Amino acid sequence: MKSEVSCKECVDLLMDYIDRSLDVETYKRLDHHLQSCPPCIHFLKSYRKCSELAGQLRDQRVQIPAELESRLKSFLKAEILKPQAPGKH
Amino acid sequence: MATKEIDQHQIIEGLKNHDPDTIDEFVHQFSRPLFGVILNYTKNPSDAEEILQDTLLKIIRKIETFREESDIWPWIKRIAVNNSIMWLRKYRAAREREIQIDDSLPQFTVDGQFINPPFAWSVDPEEVMLNRELGGELYDAIQALPFEYRIPLILRDIEGYSIKQISSLLGLKEPTTKTRIHRARLFVRERLAHYFEDAL
Repeated sequence: MKSEVSCKECVDLLMDYIDRSLDVETYKRLDHHLQSCPPCIHFLKSYRKCSELAGQLRDQRVQIPAELESRLKSFLKAEILKPQAPGKH
Repeated sequence: MATKEIDQHQIIEGLKNHDPDTIDEFVHQFSRPLFGVILNYTKNPSDAEEILQDTLLKIIRKIETFREESDIWPWIKRIAVNNSIMWLRKYRAAREREIQIDDSLPQFTVDGQFINPPFAWSVDPEEVMLNRELGGELYDAIQALPFEYRIPLILRDIEGYSIKQISSLLGLKEPTTKTRIHRARLFVRERLAHYFEDAL
């Protein structure tokens, strides 16, 4: 059994480690490395956090100018209500 | 919202009938959240406005195909995501300045040790909260990614799609999708690390 995991291998496997898609043996080897390697622990925590923070961007509220909303309403009504050319959908 | 909201069934029926008041209410209810989705894919507001306009039109034209027993928002969002990706594929070559992602990934010695071991952040990452400033840093880091890395990352980490769904949407093999997401995360982490380490 291969026992030592390098920092590079650790970083390469982080996504699968977080997603828990590693086989049991690799997971254990990685876990063992993480327990004794502070730089990789720092790296793991910040890697995972960046992914979580990106998820929070989804919930950030954006503003839309009233003028844009008004322009969109006019455009859509003009497009939808205009007579369709024969054969067009 | 300032005006009365009408329910999903009324919106669908009104759009099918091309009712002008329903079109107004539809724009009022959905343009802001859709604009938020689209802005994840392009930083340029005028591009986002163009995609939003096209997306709203597509939704109205496709409304007959929506199966009403399900919630309409995921269906609408999917059209916005597809439209954003299609639009970016069409125009990105002329507009985007490609950067070399490898320059911003962690570097290792031949025996696999960090050349520059990562510092602990100035705050414990687990305590970091997304505020406006950090949100801006994160958004800029994601937008700095080349298209082929940016889109899989947004679909996975922001939109929450599965690897299988992303691969299908982008026509990629699953290992390729995973590699791109991982490398994109490494790039973003590196950009944010500068932000947090500089605060030390």
